[in-house]
Order: sequence, then C-alpha cells, then structure tokens
Amino acid sequence: MSLKKKILISSVGWVVLISGLHAYMNVNWPAILNDYRPLAQRKITVAYIPVTCQLTCPVTDYISKVSEGGEIFMPRLFQGFPEIKEALISNRVQAAFIVAPLAIALAAQGVPIKVVYLGHRYGSAVVVRKDGPIKTFADLRGRTVAIPSRFSDERLLLFRAMKVWGLKPGDLKMVEMAPPDVSGALAAGAIDGFSMGEPFPSQAEMGGYGRILFQARDYWPDYMSCILVVRQDLIDKRPEVVQELVDGIARSGLWLDKGKTNREDAADFVGRFYYRQKPALLRWALTKPMDRVVYSPLAPRKPDFDMVRDLMIETGVLNKKIPFEDYADTRFSDGAISQTAWKYEAGIASAK
Amino acid sequence: MNSLAETSKWERIFWPILASALFIATWHYCVAWSGTRVFPSPRQVELGIGELLHKNVLWMDIIDSLRRVAIAFGTATIVGIPLGLALGWYPEANQVVNPVMQILRPISPIAWIPVAIIFFGVGDHAAIFLIFMGAFFPIVVACINGTGNVPSTFRRAGRNFGLSPTQLLARVIFPAALPQIIVGLRLALGIAWLVVVAAEMVAVDSGLGYLIIDSRNSGKRYDLVVAAMILIGVLGLILDLCFRRLEKIKSVRWGFQ
Repeated sequence: MSLKKKILISSVGWVVLISGLHAYMNVNWPAILNDYRPLAQRKITVAYIPVTCQLTCPVTDYISKVSEGGEIFMPRLFQGFPEIKEALISNRVQAAFIVAPLAIALAAQGVPIKVVYLGHRYGSAVVVRKDGPIKTFADLRGRTVAIPSRFSDERLLLFRAMKVWGLKPGDLKMVEMAPPDVSGALAAGAIDGFSMGEPFPSQAEMGGYGRILFQARDYWPDYMSCILVVRQDLIDKRPEVVQELVDGIARSGLWLDKGKTNREDAADFVGRFYYRQKPALLRWALTKPMDRVVYSPLAPRKPDFDMVRDLMIETGVLNKKIPFEDYADTRFSDGAISQTAWKYEAGIASAK
Repeated sequence: MNSLAETSKWERIFWPILASALFIATWHYCVAWSGTRVFPSPRQVELGIGELLHKNVLWMDIIDSLRRVAIAFGTATIVGIPLGLALGWYPEANQVVNPVMQILRPISPIAWIPVAIIFFGVGDHAAIFLIFMGAFFPIVVACINGTGNVPSTFRRAGRNFGLSPTQLLARVIFPAALPQIIVGLRLALGIAWLVVVAAEMVAVDSGLGYLIIDSRNSGKRYDLVVAAMILIGVLGLILDLCFRRLEKIKSVRWGFQ
C-alpha cells in the first residue's frame, strides 16, 4: 500500500469513526426528527436554565410525557441568559423562560416576542458570606455583588433595597455572572454577595458558606422574576400551540403548589433528568419553607410589569416607556384560567 | 506576478485597500440581500464605533487591554528569554524540564481560567496570569531552539578568544539566536493578544474582551459586538506591524535574509 493510500484510508476511517460515535452518543435525534415533521405537528422548543424560577417548564414536560398524551414541547437547557437571548432572536427556540426586564428590553429593541405567562413568584434572595463582615444591607456599601444580568429583577431588587437603606446607585458594584457560577465565586471570595434565583441561595446555604441576607419578598411584595415569552410569529400562526403550552405551565404551577409531596417528587425528577443538580438541593429550595417559591397565580399583571419598566428606566437600562400591551399578550393566561392541577402523583410512572 | 517581483509602492497600498473595500461591500450586500435584522451592516457598525467613542469608555478599554498585554508579555519576555537561553545552553537541564514543559505547553490559556481565579481572584492579576501563560512557552521554546541552532564553530571561536561562559552567552549565543527569538516573541505577542480578549471576558470588568461581553449583555446590540471585534482586529494588526519593525533592526536583519 502506498503512503498516499495509507494516509487517505486512515483519514477517512478517522472521520467515519468520529462521526459514528458522535451520532451514537451526542446527537439529540428527537430534536432533529422534529424539524422534518409537517408544520402542524412540529413541536416548539422552549428554552430554560436550571433555576427553580423555571421549574414549571421541566415539570410540564415530565408529567405530560409520563402520564398524559406525550410531550407537548421540546425543552432545551441553557446555562445563561445571553445564550437564551441569542437563540430567541435567531428563532432557534420559539419560546423561552427569561427574566422580565430582559423581555421588556428585547421588545423595546424590536425583537418580536410577547410575554404570555409568569414562571413563578418570589424565589430570589440576596446572599452574603456566612462568616463575613456583612450583617445588614448597608454593609454592602462599596462591595461587589453578582447579578444574573443587567436586565434582571434581581438587579432591580437590589435597587429597591438600596432605596430603603439610603444607598446611592454607585455604592454597590454589580457584576453580571452566569447563575450556576455564583455559589463557587462566593465560596472563593471573588464576590461579596449575590442576588440570584433559587436554587443558588439554597446551594450557598447548604454548602455552609452562604447566609441569606433577605428574601425578595422582604423588599418587593408579589416579586416575580422569570417569565415565559413566545415569539410573535408563533402566536400569529399557531395560537393553539401557545395555549397548550400556557395551559401546561399553569397546570404544573397548581400541581407544585398542592403540597410538599409533589414538590419533593418534582425536586427528584427535575434534579435527575433536567437540571443535573442534586435532588436534595432542589428539595431544600422548594420546601424550606414552602413559600420560598410560589407557582400560582401566574397570569401577567399590568401593574407588576409597569413597576418593573419604570424601575428599569429609573436605573438607566431602558430608554422608552413601552406600554404593557406592546410586549405582553394576556389572552393565553385568560384562556388558562380554568385549568386544574395535573392528576399525576409520584409513582404513577413506575406503576404503569 | 511572483514572489520575486518587486511590487511598486502604489500597488502595495492599492491592492489591500481594494480587497478591504470588496470585503466591506460583500458584507453590506449580504446583510441587505438576506434581510437580516439581527446582524449589523457596516454602516451600523460604524455608528456603533461612534457610540462607543461617544460613551468615552473605548479609550479606557483599549488602554486597559494594552496595559495587561504589556505587563504580561513583558514578564514573559523577562522570565522566558534567560530561562530559554539557559535551557538551550545546558541540554541536560533541558532534558529534565522538557517533558513537563511539553505537557504544559499545549494547554490552552483559557483552560487555566478556573485555576487563575482560585489563585488570583477576579481581577487584573488573573487576566495577566492567563496572558503570561499564553506568551511564556512560545518564547522559551524559541530561545531553546535558537540557542541550540547556533553553529558550534561560533562557540568554539568565542572560547578561543577567551570569553567566559557568561560573556559567551551574552555576546555570541544571544546575538546569534536573536532572529529566532524575535520570531518567537512575535508569535507570543500574537497569542497574548488572542488571550487578553478571552481573559477579559471572564475575569475583569474593563478592556476589549469585556467590551464584547458587555455589548452582548445589552440585548440586541450586535452592532456594538461587531464594532468591538473590528477594533480588536485592527489593534492586533497595529501591534504586529510595530513588532515587525524590530525585524528591520540591523543586528537581527541578517537572520531574515
């Protein structure tokens, strides 16, 4: 065999081997096959990140898969908001759970999306080092605090607390970090505190290095953070799909609020199959105490969003008073008003 | 035209400008034809650069990036050249150190990020450490090879003139290896410029890398992202052009002819 032939055969062999292994181990076949279905049957992709504010997304997927007529959408895990934002802008995902101010900002910048539902209420907290020098909020003056995004309710929450404590806008140094990184950064002392959604406050608490300075509700009654946005073209072309999605999320919210058993069950399957987090961590975030995060009622309300928008303008991340109707569509939440909790109970899946 | 032909002065200016103009025109029409509302056109990017200048952060970011590269690259040069010369001079020592260095060398400086944050926290030091890791190995390797490639007649001639080992290293070996060292330094500077952007994306809140992340985080502002990318490219080119002037210095020019 000549050298040329040897090189050719080994390169082709290498490419075939790598491609075969890739197809076997990495490719998400259901997602690819989904793209070749006729439009009417095609499932939409819903983006989410592993925070409990978005727990209704995996819960809906899991319950509809194991106990109802099959999955109603394709959930897709992301690790941070910039990536979700880009996927949403470029139409790689048709719906996404993002923070409310980001949705308002994107809509104001001309991205065709609408808020159709909330992800949760409460469930964010400001956390500082357990043995550190910060005892009250005023001690944070001149310190570094991590936030998930400049367009986040967690950032606005800090501003609300700053008003109460008489701190000026420049008194706190805020850095944007991907939520999964903050606990490690706090433990390593790279930041003095963070304002994040669960389960990251719980993670710092369980790890023994974090202490909750305050919960979101202490400075923001009816606090909301993650909301569900849908692209406008989907609303126009397939409103029934959006309604099905919102119905599912509503039913999951009610199911999660039914009791501790459901929450513990959710912590188990979401931690194992979706978030790749320890179920014990989610159990802590969801049940200690039970109202740490609340999943009903989740219909978007104009006053809540107006307040967020005005706070965004005040803190310099939005430059126009965009009206609620321009970025929200309440007909799906109205349509979901008579939904009831899933009938699913832990163990049904295995019994079947 | 082949590589031997002398290009005339106007050609050396004309063709690059034509190519750049063609590139920008292609870009402009691709954006126009595809009708994308996400990716910016050259005009929008120009406005983006104007906006960055107007916000008065651009110069600070540029200076921060250049400062980090200067410190890290300078340290890598000061540590790397003597170390490389010594290892090239004593092949036995090189044999001992070589395996470890060959393992460390292919590790991307980006892979050092978590470790850098643990060692240095979030801030300037971590970024400078990352750039140092990127620039250090090419310099050392270039020095080892440069020293090794010095013809043994040079060494023997030096010894015959009665030079002590230190004098021999400083006055014979180093100048003889200099052309190769300069190539290594230029390579290292290129890598340092690649790494500074990546390092600033995670560890700090200033500089051109941060500018990219900051623009990305401000919603649908891809005009600012592309503007920052172009600035990084242009500054990298300027750095390289400056460095190439070193190759024209008389004491190293012989190595390139």
